[in-house]
Amino acid sequence: MGVSLPTVPRGEAGFFTTKLDLAVNWARQNSLWPMPFGTACCAIEMMASAASKFDLSRFGMERMSFSPRQADLLICAGRVSYKMAPVLRRIWDQMMQPKWAISMGACASSGGVFDVYSMVQGIDTIIPVDVYIPGCPPRPEGLIYGILMVHEKIKGESLADPSLREENPERVGRPNLPDGVIDEIAKPFGNSTTQNRVSGLVRTTALARPGDRNP
Amino acid sequence: MSEKTFEGALDDLEAGTAAGSAEPARGGEAGDADAHPAVRALRERFGEAILAHTVMAGDEHVVHVRADRNVEILQFLRDDPAQRFDYLADVTAVDFGGDRPIEVVYQLWSIENRRALRVKAALRVDALEIDSVAALWKTANWLERETWDMFGIRFRGHPDHRRILMPEGYAEGFPLRKDFPLRGRFSRAEQTRRALSMTVEEHYSAEELAIVEEVKRDTSPADSGEGRPAS
Repeated sequence: MGVSLPTVPRGEAGFFTTKLDLAVNWARQNSLWPMPFGTACCAIEMMASAASKFDLSRFGMERMSFSPRQADLLICAGRVSYKMAPVLRRIWDQMMQPKWAISMGACASSGGVFDVYSMVQGIDTIIPVDVYIPGCPPRPEGLIYGILMVHEKIKGESLADPSLREENPERVGRPNLPDGVIDEIAKPFGNSTTQNRVSGLVRTTALARPGDRNP
Repeated sequence: MSEKTFEGALDDLEAGTAAGSAEPARGGEAGDADAHPAVRALRERFGEAILAHTVMAGDEHVVHVRADRNVEILQFLRDDPAQRFDYLADVTAVDFGGDRPIEVVYQLWSIENRRALRVKAALRVDALEIDSVAALWKTANWLERETWDMFGIRFRGHPDHRRILMPEGYAEGFPLRKDFPLRGRFSRAEQTRRALSMTVEEHYSAEELAIVEEVKRDTSPADSGEGRPAS
């Protein structure tokens, strides 16, 4: 292939130096185990992404972890009803740090066309979300792009900032956002027009994680 | 109706003042009883309990019956050798809005005779109770639970009278009623808080949870050896 590895003289220990953050983040981003939470047609695209044509295992996601305790990345693919909300929240609470979440598709991100009595208006009211993927449903390329954005996010994290991985036990099983914010984003078309504020792209009190805040 | 504007008809619908508002809304044309053997048999056997017979969309025969005699009429349709409506395809209801009666709809199919029949029973909105037919068709168990869940119609004698789609503690009412707001009655924050304060186990009956416990016991590692009881 024309690639030559650096040679180590026989009998000597090889080593190289790097930054701890770099090494840890490299390991984390390339071994993300997804927890599939598929509730609707987005899940079909998610399955297609995992199958041979798109092959998520190229990104270190060989194994769909159907147990939340061994998963790093929650992929919520599809609409979530209020009846399902405590299930989603419990699965998120059961996942161990470090963990990330992808909201796949319009319904998971904002309720989509289901602006009705039974449907959660964006799963960010329930759990903190790292990446939102638009689409109805998004194509596998869209999901893969979202996963690569999670990779980028992981690259930028630092072990010196423990707030990134902090969890408040009092928040377990509670809504992810304050009441006023939930009401605001759940207005008609609310979550689609105010989502930037919730996802932490601009400064807000409604942040999922303090580390998401812009400098 | 043809003289009215669309908005006028909508207003009437909301106010419940459309023609014959105290009466069930009977669409379609008056049916010819001879066109459907079941209707003729019903008229002969139950007389005044058969309130009306209409035909919708060409060949869909609808029989309006008295709500307090639904079980005996449906049992006759199921058991009579000439009728044999052995398949209950659907139980649902229709809310016409206002104070007009809510209709319970039974959609029947006879596998043997390849005939369909729709039976409707109208209930006043202040007395939404009807006898359950879960003893006649087992499928009516879940269908009637759904009708209770969505319309708030009580089914007397139902063996498992719980909501089926909405969570058991749902306090906002009955979503498919005309007066139910599309986004529900509570604020989104309140709905989210209520949803998250549910424990998932509340969705299931004691019987359903017992099945889970049984499966857990049967598949627990400690029980995988020889000590497992033969079933």
